[in-house]
Amino acid sequence: MTKQLRSVVYMFLISLFFASLVSAVKHLNEKTIASNQALKLQRIILKVLEIPVEKNTPDDQISRLFMERIKNIQVEDRILYVGYEEDAHTILGYAFPVGGPGFWGPIQGMVGVDPEVTKVLGIAFTKHSETPGLGGRITEDWFSSQFKGLPLHPIDGDKKIFYLKPAGTTGAPNELDAITGATNTSSAVETFLNDELDYFLKELWTTVEERE
Amino acid sequence: MPNLSSKKEIFLTGLWKDNPVLRQVLGICSTLAVTNLMVNTLVMDAGLIFTVCMSSLTVSLLRNYTPMRIRMMVQTLIIASYVIIVDIIIKAHLPDISEALGPYVALIITNCIIMGRCEAFARNNPPLASFLDGLGMSLGYSLILITIAFIREPLGFGTLLGIRVMPEGFVQWTIMIMAPGAFFTLGILVWISKYILPNAKNGVERK
Repeated sequence: MTKQLRSVVYMFLISLFFASLVSAVKHLNEKTIASNQALKLQRIILKVLEIPVEKNTPDDQISRLFMERIKNIQVEDRILYVGYEEDAHTILGYAFPVGGPGFWGPIQGMVGVDPEVTKVLGIAFTKHSETPGLGGRITEDWFSSQFKGLPLHPIDGDKKIFYLKPAGTTGAPNELDAITGATNTSSAVETFLNDELDYFLKELWTTVEERE
Repeated sequence: MPNLSSKKEIFLTGLWKDNPVLRQVLGICSTLAVTNLMVNTLVMDAGLIFTVCMSSLTVSLLRNYTPMRIRMMVQTLIIASYVIIVDIIIKAHLPDISEALGPYVALIITNCIIMGRCEAFARNNPPLASFLDGLGMSLGYSLILITIAFIREPLGFGTLLGIRVMPEGFVQWTIMIMAPGAFFTLGILVWISKYILPNAKNGVERK
């Protein structure tokens, strides 16, 4: 009995010590982690709204730029980021988060659109678990920059806003290059992004009309 | 282990003679997963070196007090605590790499080398020897991972540490980016090591 009791007390003390240690480390780093995440989001929003930001722009400048140029409002189930021109009252565009299932796991991204909500300003994929070098290439510039200028009203007769087709076979402005060797990721992106745009653009159009 | 006469030998055993990846074939999950980029490999190595050394040291310090029946529980708790600390520190100070490594940092917990060393060595040996054993083993692991990354990154991405090393027209070997590429590379390394490493029978670990 005493042997068992000793084990219990020993385990309790050891757990207490290590739990305190881990909590202390977490507490000391919590602010840095939160600000890292906030900064990452700010950089992405500025990028998809085509507000020029370099990779080496210092962090405090990013935060200041973000505070001056971006305001956020809640629209339905997500936050809509409204970007303003340098004069601070002409609207430059809207950015909103999108997400859906990829091939291996969920994909998250951010879409920037022009003030009239007619075309895409920029797009970025922020979180994914696709294969590096294959599906993972959705984060590469050549892929995301194709979306720039994509018309948001489906072209007559088309059901979807955009299509991903094998590289070299694309023609119409709503046909973009898929990733070679990552057919499943490409079709997953095509499906979820079209659904998301279809759903949220309706909300956005309503909101924009109300505000005018 | 009576044959281990000096501290130097303990260290070299882990680093080379009984290399955890080549000889014991432990820690293979992370070996296959993170070695497609050298940067990720280096961070993973640093995380593992810290965790193995500290866990071995702690387990060894507590070896005379820990009740035999709950020692596994205690070891897991110790290892998990150090891994969470590593994870938090990487998240706070190297956010880009934390993202690239994804769940693999947290999965250091399941790296067999750590618990293997705690069980096989640290719980029966004094703190300094255990620390050196952990250091040797984790450096031995790192050595192999770096070797694999050195082969995979140039062939798979045409770069090394993000800097282009292959000529312009080089066609990237997609398989090298994926886990099977690491599997073949590792297999070839184990094969070569059979000829280079001292024969197991002359080695120190006999059970």
